[in-house]
Amino acid sequence: MPPRGPRVQGRVVALTGAASFLGRNLVGVLEEDASVAGIVALDVQAPPTAGKKTRFYEIDLTRPSAEVRIAEVLRAEDVDTFLHLAFLSSPSHAPAYSHELESVGTMRVVTACRSARVRKLVQASTTLLYGARPTNPNFLSERHPLRARRDDPFFADKIEAEQEALRLGQRGSGTLVTVLRTAPILGPTVHNTLTKYLGRKLVPTMMGFDPLVQFLHEVDAIAAFKRAIDRDAPGIFNIVADGVLPLSTVIKLAGRAGVPVPHPLARPALEALWVAHVAEAPSSFIDYLRFLCVADGRKAQRELGFTATYTTREALVDFASVQLLRDVRLIHDRDKATPDKDTVGATGAKAVTSA
Amino acid sequence: MSKKKPKKAEPKRARATSEVKTKPSEPPHVIAEPSTVEPSVDFSANFAPASAVDAAESVEVAESAPPESGPKSTKESNADDDSAADYGADLVAEISAYVPDVASDDVLDAPAHAEGHAPRGLGGDVGGELRAVEAEVDRILHEHVRLDEPPGVAEGLGLGAAFRVVERLREAIPVELPGEQGGTLVDAAKDVLSTDYYLRQWGRLGLRNRSEEVDEFGLDPVYEARFRPFFDLLYKYWFRVEVEGLENVPDDGRCILVGNHSGVLPYDGIMVRTAVRRAHPAAREVRWLAEDFVYHLPFLGAFMNRIGAVRACQENAERLLEGERCVLVFPEGIKGIGKLWRDRYQLQRFGRGGFVKLALRTGAPIIPVAIVGAEESAPMLYKVEYLTEALGLPFVPVTPGFPIFGPLGFIPAPTKWRIKFLPAVDLEGSGPESADDALLVNRLAERVRGTIQESLDKTVATRKSVFF
Repeated sequence: MPPRGPRVQGRVVALTGAASFLGRNLVGVLEEDASVAGIVALDVQAPPTAGKKTRFYEIDLTRPSAEVRIAEVLRAEDVDTFLHLAFLSSPSHAPAYSHELESVGTMRVVTACRSARVRKLVQASTTLLYGARPTNPNFLSERHPLRARRDDPFFADKIEAEQEALRLGQRGSGTLVTVLRTAPILGPTVHNTLTKYLGRKLVPTMMGFDPLVQFLHEVDAIAAFKRAIDRDAPGIFNIVADGVLPLSTVIKLAGRAGVPVPHPLARPALEALWVAHVAEAPSSFIDYLRFLCVADGRKAQRELGFTATYTTREALVDFASVQLLRDVRLIHDRDKATPDKDTVGATGAKAVTSA
Repeated sequence: MSKKKPKKAEPKRARATSEVKTKPSEPPHVIAEPSTVEPSVDFSANFAPASAVDAAESVEVAESAPPESGPKSTKESNADDDSAADYGADLVAEISAYVPDVASDDVLDAPAHAEGHAPRGLGGDVGGELRAVEAEVDRILHEHVRLDEPPGVAEGLGLGAAFRVVERLREAIPVELPGEQGGTLVDAAKDVLSTDYYLRQWGRLGLRNRSEEVDEFGLDPVYEARFRPFFDLLYKYWFRVEVEGLENVPDDGRCILVGNHSGVLPYDGIMVRTAVRRAHPAAREVRWLAEDFVYHLPFLGAFMNRIGAVRACQENAERLLEGERCVLVFPEGIKGIGKLWRDRYQLQRFGRGGFVKLALRTGAPIIPVAIVGAEESAPMLYKVEYLTEALGLPFVPVTPGFPIFGPLGFIPAPTKWRIKFLPAVDLEGSGPESADDALLVNRLAERVRGTIQESLDKTVATRKSVFF
């Protein structure tokens, strides 16, 4: 069947993971976009940015019958573009749950999209899936195989999810599939493994290794998804910022002190700390402190028309300036801080001084 | 202690202002000299510290000056500058409050020096002259102000001498002294007691030899610049590198240098880079491609990357060439540096001709480079291959110095190096479409290999000694 033509006006955009960082920001952006007629938010929790256009459906992707529900909603709302953002931004201690959410959840989304004949599916992914290997070229293109450690469910589930979505695009179902592999996202408001890592005062590094790293500013990440919604560009795209920095420089610019650890010791130590819920990531992340995992964003520039406005360094500096305020407790993060009437009071000054 | 600082500052300020006041009684050298043409008057009125001290007086002086200084224009310019002069006076008072005696003398002498130049500038470049003088004064001011910017704490403790020593050291080591930001002893004590202070210093120390940005392949310009003297030393005095045929390397645009790889510790990459930087008229930057195993090794991998090596792979080479850079490849790879002494100057197999495909695809010329002398700088007598798995090395070398003398054995012998850049190889007009033609690729690779081998044989045969 021929693909449906794009509707310029009156599009309806559905998104999973609507309450996630990308989700709630994109809901806010789409609310203000006049060409979007409606937003269908699918999540277990309503996005705080929801406005008049947004309709929220409580759908849990880990439930067995989720695809039927989603398909019903998609048909009822006449959804044009589907954004699949329900992925974990940090590794989970419950691998069964994350597998159900990411790998199986994507399968359910894909099934629903096919049965509801959604015109376009945009899915989030990450450049971490390329894997940090000493044999990586300095810039990984989209054609490069995904070589992240499959023994870690964090990567394995995401790779499976990506393949699931791409299969939908290949099968001639009439759905355009765009996968955006974003570099690790950094910025003043986002929370993920990376911000936790750089949020420490003493940041562990691997002794003798100083890989080049690359980030993406949160604003650019949101802009890239908006681009992908607005423009039909099927395929895989690396969404990255310009420039690279050595990890040691990153730590210093963030105002942290690096603690070099010999890598043979680091692996068992980190595994133990991960099991004890002290570390923020399992030992499979050590590779990223040793070897290159930097992607080439020229395809996105060419075909998607996306150019990052922040360089890697600017993204880092932006994060670091806010992190400094967090360090001295001038900023409380809403999701972390206990509800406190003083801090949400009318006087901003009071909130600051009491903090 | 915190109260002491303003007190100490007070007498200085008073002294400074008194100096300022006494100045006009001396011959104000800027103005009193019969200024012949208006630009120089303009100059004096505009000019910062000394002349601006008493604008009113300077106007009088200027008016009483000989008639050849067009009085009309002088008046105008001075009237315009009245407010500026007031501001200048304040500025002077403020600056001289911070500047010690020597400094203020210097500053006040500067215009005299400048005046000496002014008449010569009549021709027209007064603006340029002014800027030069301003820059000089800025420099003098900057020098003294910086030296005389004690946070008060060190002074208060009577640590003048120690403070000066620290001041010298800080040129090299950018450590912030306790209390430098706050300035009082209490702040200093707070600093000393806080972990943040130490973390900050640690971070600064770590970045002292680093640039905050690297290029897309990881070259750190500041870090590399620090090692340049060492490489220059090796180049000039240790290996006494003799370079020939640099005219074969184009001044700009992409090109591939293909060299013979030799010596257990391959200094050839960095030496070719140094040679092209120092001897080539365009001082081109060469990026050389290093073997994979280097990047598995701790310390060495990161170091090589910061000084300009790039991991050898097709994607990297292509991207470098697309950036119109000059890329040095060693197609022999590990086989080249893993040669035994008896095989010296015998070129090994040239990989799979990857560099030819690269040249065909990117349209870059191939320039063969014959390097003589590197083989003898670290000859390998024997290689141990059973430790390789555990160490992550392709082989463990046995050289005349290693492992008997430990790491010292890796110091290269001071052989005489001869680097010869040969004319670009004829690619028979083939384009990107023939990159998949295995026969052609092999033929071209063989041709490059033959060219280098021929040149090596000739040089080795004609040289009189390995060391001279």
